[in-house]
Amino acid sequence: MKQNIKLTNIVRYVMIILVVAAGSCKKLQEDPKSIITPDTYYNTIDQVQSALVAAQSHLWDQFKGYQEDMFLFNQDDQITRGNLEIPEDYASTIWAAHYAALLNINQAIASLNKGLTNTGQEQMDQVMAQAKFLRAFNYFMLVREFGGVPLLTDETPDLFGTPVARSSIEEVYAQIIADFTAAIGKLPVSYEDPDRGLPTRDAAKGLLAKAYLTMATYPLNKTEYYANAAQLAGEIIADGNYSLVPDIKDLFSAATKYGPEMMWSFNSNNVDLGPDPRLWSDMQGFGTICAEPAWEQAYPPSPRKDAFIETELDGVKYYDLGDYWPGVHKFQYDSPEDIASNRSIVNMPIIRFADVLLIFAEADNMANGSPTPAAVDALNKVIDRGNGYVPNTADPLATLSMSKEEFDTKVIEERNYELCFEMDRWFDLVRKRILEEKTLPDYVINFTEDDYLWPIPSVDVRVNKLEQNPGY
Amino acid sequence: MKPKLFIFLAAICLQVYAFAGPLNTIHSVPDGPSVNVHGRIVNENGDPVVASVTVKGTPAGTTSDVNGEFNLSNVADDATLVITATNINPVEVKVNGRTDILIKVSMNVNSLNDVVVVGYGSQRKSDLTGSLSRLKGEDLRLLPTQRVDQALQGRAPGVVVLNTDGSPGGNTVIRVRGTNSINGDNNALVVIDGLQGGNLNSLNPNDIASIEVLKDASATAIYGSQGANGVILITTKTGLIGKPVINYINDFSASKVRNFPDLMNVVDFAKETNKVRLAVNGGGTTPDPIFTDAQIDSFARVGGTDWIDAVYRTAITQNNQLSISGASEKISYLLSGAYLNQQGVLKNSAYKRYSLRANVKGEINNWVSFGFNFAWSRENANSALFGGAIDYPGNPIAGAIRFSPTIPVYDDAGNYSKAALRYANPTLWNPVASTLEPVINNNTFRTNINAFLDFKILEGLILRVSAGAILTNVNRYNFYNTKTYTGLSKNGSGTVYDENANYFQNSNILTYDKKIGRSRFTVTAVQEQKFTKTFYSTINASDFGDQDIGVFDLGGASLVTSNSDYSERVINSYLGRINYAYNDKYLFTASLRGDGSSVFGNDHKWGYFPSGSVAWRLSEEEFLKNTGIFSDLKIRASFGVTGNQAINPYQTLAHVSSGFTYPYFGTDETNLGFSITSTSNPKLKWEKTAQTNFGIDLSVLNGRLNLTADYYNKLTSDLLIPRELATYTGISSIIDNVGSIRNRGIELAISGDPYVRGNVSWNTSLVFSHNKGKVIEIGTSDRIPFTSGGFGGQGVQSPFMFLIPGQAYGQMIGFHYLGVWKEKEAAEAAAFGQLPGDPRYEDINGDGSIDLQDETVIGNSMPDFTFGWSNRITAGSFDVNFLITGSQGNDLFNVTRIALESPGGTGAALVHRYSPDNQDSDIPAIIDQQTRTNAGLASKVKIPGASGNRNSRWVEDGSYVRLKNITVGYNFPIHLIRKIHFNNARLYVTATNLITITKYTGQDPEVSSYTSNDAQLGSDFNNYPQVKTFNVGLNVSF
Repeated sequence: MKQNIKLTNIVRYVMIILVVAAGSCKKLQEDPKSIITPDTYYNTIDQVQSALVAAQSHLWDQFKGYQEDMFLFNQDDQITRGNLEIPEDYASTIWAAHYAALLNINQAIASLNKGLTNTGQEQMDQVMAQAKFLRAFNYFMLVREFGGVPLLTDETPDLFGTPVARSSIEEVYAQIIADFTAAIGKLPVSYEDPDRGLPTRDAAKGLLAKAYLTMATYPLNKTEYYANAAQLAGEIIADGNYSLVPDIKDLFSAATKYGPEMMWSFNSNNVDLGPDPRLWSDMQGFGTICAEPAWEQAYPPSPRKDAFIETELDGVKYYDLGDYWPGVHKFQYDSPEDIASNRSIVNMPIIRFADVLLIFAEADNMANGSPTPAAVDALNKVIDRGNGYVPNTADPLATLSMSKEEFDTKVIEERNYELCFEMDRWFDLVRKRILEEKTLPDYVINFTEDDYLWPIPSVDVRVNKLEQNPGY
Repeated sequence: MKPKLFIFLAAICLQVYAFAGPLNTIHSVPDGPSVNVHGRIVNENGDPVVASVTVKGTPAGTTSDVNGEFNLSNVADDATLVITATNINPVEVKVNGRTDILIKVSMNVNSLNDVVVVGYGSQRKSDLTGSLSRLKGEDLRLLPTQRVDQALQGRAPGVVVLNTDGSPGGNTVIRVRGTNSINGDNNALVVIDGLQGGNLNSLNPNDIASIEVLKDASATAIYGSQGANGVILITTKTGLIGKPVINYINDFSASKVRNFPDLMNVVDFAKETNKVRLAVNGGGTTPDPIFTDAQIDSFARVGGTDWIDAVYRTAITQNNQLSISGASEKISYLLSGAYLNQQGVLKNSAYKRYSLRANVKGEINNWVSFGFNFAWSRENANSALFGGAIDYPGNPIAGAIRFSPTIPVYDDAGNYSKAALRYANPTLWNPVASTLEPVINNNTFRTNINAFLDFKILEGLILRVSAGAILTNVNRYNFYNTKTYTGLSKNGSGTVYDENANYFQNSNILTYDKKIGRSRFTVTAVQEQKFTKTFYSTINASDFGDQDIGVFDLGGASLVTSNSDYSERVINSYLGRINYAYNDKYLFTASLRGDGSSVFGNDHKWGYFPSGSVAWRLSEEEFLKNTGIFSDLKIRASFGVTGNQAINPYQTLAHVSSGFTYPYFGTDETNLGFSITSTSNPKLKWEKTAQTNFGIDLSVLNGRLNLTADYYNKLTSDLLIPRELATYTGISSIIDNVGSIRNRGIELAISGDPYVRGNVSWNTSLVFSHNKGKVIEIGTSDRIPFTSGGFGGQGVQSPFMFLIPGQAYGQMIGFHYLGVWKEKEAAEAAAFGQLPGDPRYEDINGDGSIDLQDETVIGNSMPDFTFGWSNRITAGSFDVNFLITGSQGNDLFNVTRIALESPGGTGAALVHRYSPDNQDSDIPAIIDQQTRTNAGLASKVKIPGASGNRNSRWVEDGSYVRLKNITVGYNFPIHLIRKIHFNNARLYVTATNLITITKYTGQDPEVSSYTSNDAQLGSDFNNYPQVKTFNVGLNVSF
């Protein structure tokens, strides 16, 4: 009898346990609370715009994008350490950053094309114009760095499954022109005060002008585009929305970060810090961006030189200090605290009015076969400002009597002085094919024509059989 | 190599020689009248033994308690007491009228009848078919350590314990039979009293009754998807029948840094600095020296700053433990509490651990019993960051050996001095500031609760229903003020981190034991579910208005970013096992586990893990049994599959992630960016490890010499590693099952009692582990690089450790450094554009230049073998225990040394650098610019800057032999301590890391600055140095 009770009890217990155990079995299907998947995101205009924010963050952030990879441009004649030995995977990180940006930009464009609920058409057009502006900018950098690249758009099917081959340089420029043109049609002329970091119509025009100018030079050499470049740059000058900062010393300062000269830039602020004000350099070589002594010595003495280049440390010239190089001064914003703490709120210009003047001068001269008064005036505005508006025999003003070639050389030199350390010189050396001529004598031996394009990242060659650039 | 071999051979010879001694003897005394007997039973080592005591020929009897004591009333004065227990050789003792008897018994050394804990159950040791190592609580007591992980070192074959740094509460890496996974966890599963996922560091070693390490698949497959890295089973103590026993341990210790690198004195350093300076004479200039002769004379008189002395100290540690245990027939209990307060040798570093435990077991009625374990701990650790965890300028360990001795700690204004601008490394931060200024506080609270009910349903059929939880709460905060390197650029920077991880486990275990004729079998069936949820939040703040209040008022920071995450993980499992023994000779085990896990792709939620093993006890066969040679001889074979869930929840899904902020609108506020960071992969599944094991257990000379040997071969496939995507997709990789790794190894354990004579005995055991890991496949990439060379400056920026298909695990790849070009080799050097005194590298491909094509294998971080030799010598009231551990054949990349021995460094070796008068040196000369220009050579050494130090000059042999621990104990005589009502009192002194033999020139050969991936082990980069410790402790019970 007792045995029976015990057994009944046990059976009951076991039953209860098994029922409880089976019932409490948690499901294996994942129902994430903390993560966002692309399928459920991009429903509001803010979410779409957050993709564009991320796109720019890939290109400009502390230790990321061009803040970290600015040294890639040290193969030019301005920055030290370039020796024209460009190894495999030289620029793979910046390639990856551009394509990470493009992934998000294309997603934003696709979402906008699908349409958002509760969002006005005008607001969607605005963000669409920003997205196309950013896409064009990314491809403009890529095509100048790597040549023809895989052309991914919002319409590319099965990105992760089906390999995409490299497009031709012409095809990439066609996309750049289409996107910048679309952006010019919708972007506003200016923004209310707090939103001045957004791209304007004239920023799109300026970059498109620069794209046309590049198409007119190497490697495409489609000289018919000089006229397009001159026309667009001329429109910006005529419209008067932008102007030169009168005093060269004020050009890079907190007050002039977003105008009147700055048109569009990589932005930094106290939350998202910019690079070291000396561009990671303490003039001793632990950093990456210092000026080549030979280049510094060739730079004509002027107020601009004093504002842009640092040649002394504690009152001693760098060449008297031993193992030191000239430093970058232009981005220092006269803020000693920032220098001491290696932090800055520097904006790195991508297009500014001085660049537009120089684009105009170059394109107009080349389109017309000789310098026009407008071209001379545009160039001299930049020279004059750099000289503090006084004559400077080291860097004299241009004249109408100059030949086309003399004037062109003068413009390129002026770009060299004015836009130094702004990630511009390398592209000038490339599109004018003057790298061999300008490289330091020590390194000329390393020069080949293949240096004009950086290598395609080896992983893309290995995994998806992208064609490698010659020489790598 | 040679001295170590000698030690081995010596050890083995000694053991064989010493086996000549007889077994122990038993006392006897003449007759007398009827008496009340109080007795105490001890073993050869004087340790108490729990045994049954009966009076021969009568029903009278009792059991000795945990102190080995028993009382028997009215025993005939000529009676004989019979002492038996499963783990001792039976003994008969005549009372002979004595009232107080000390009975010595000999342990049944091979303990074949010992019961060992296995997954979801226990087994007789003689019935085991798999590979398992066991460590008893007694071993922990006699060689005291503060932590369980350290106690495992050198004790279990196949288990490698690496003390990667010497910080208080410091880090260890424990590997059972090598590294299986590249991205997954390689830590063994820790199971404490049946609760999976325990933490070793929070345990009080004194609470432990036994540790079992499961190694082969037949033992671990029962843990299925968590078993691939081995399983460490921990059983905590419980009370034994008798009156309550109170045990108190007080341990006091002092530690010092074991070894510092040799540094130059201040005068040599000043001269070195001038030498570097004067070489900068390009373009016909003659630079001024940094230090004038007068200044150097002054340094010689006054001396320089001893930075090592300024940041290190002798560290004091207090360890207090108290426990109460006891049991009646129906219920047993143990309560314990411990407080460990450990100072670090680096100032401002410490570790405190508070722990509490309550274990209760009892019978409710004759068919239901219960058990309950509760353990709580709080760990509080703080130390300035070191090793690879912090950018080198702010690393105090780096600063202490690299900062210029010419600079005082404080400047004239009383502030921390800054590095000189014009010599040494101007970015290096004042190490005293880096040590004292950071506020770092890491708290971890852990609560383990585990309860079970056992139902005896039928004879031999038991259902155990258990439920448990591990609740972990991590709370960390840190603050770096503007006096620190980290804090200066951010105007003060702080972090607050909170994490709650809750783990729940329910296991329902049905066990059926049956004996039919000569067959015995045990069937185990388990249904189990596990659920983990983790929530963390972290706040990073900078730009603080008040540097003193800092992180305690986050409102005072103008820049605040925060982040949080929540995840869940579910595993549902069903498993079964059959153990079968025929005639105690032929043993079989088979098991199968099915695990369903939420973290895997929809196509692969379930994985199945089978195992099977057989063993043959040859010693039970008549033809061997009769020879009397073997007490035990068993051969074993097993095969099985285990798994590893190497990925985190939600990794099969595509992600859009926050954290991509950028001032897109150009305002002072930043804008939140969300980026697509991964794409989905519904095909993800388990990493699988298939393991074959062959083993032999041998016991001879009546169990006085035991040997266990195992060979294993493990193949881990479907490794979860990132498969490269073309980077134009915008995503660099996707986690996928690509790749495999093989581990093969041999393990050996020899133990015995070479000498037992009178009250002197010697017990010794040697364990030896050899593992060879090989990378078989890693997908499309030709190698996986691992960065482990510190940051910028004088580290190694590009990766030098690689996993390469077809090559051994742990390869170091770089340039082969051949020393310095000598003067007689000037012509040869010139061909490479080098001068005598310049570094010389091997031109592997013979193309006349040194470039990336000349990379070669320059080392391997994995040892050929590791060993541990533990010994216990007992002589009367004294016992001496010591453990020698060692590692042979592993290389270390001494990143720390690069800065010390580069031009302008502080290392004493620089004094002996190459010069025309001292050509017998590996340290390159300082060649001035003018000399180089005059030579007019074009360098053919084209090693990219980031790879500059990636060469074999810094790779050193990391082999060592170390007297890890030696303890001398004195047990106070029973008759003395009785008078003060103590049962037991032991006084001991211990020295840790007392003697180390190694050729390694870094601070310590037991080091690894990077431990997040096993492929990074073996890099020494300014890690917290190992310490030498002396303890004195008292262990009393009453």
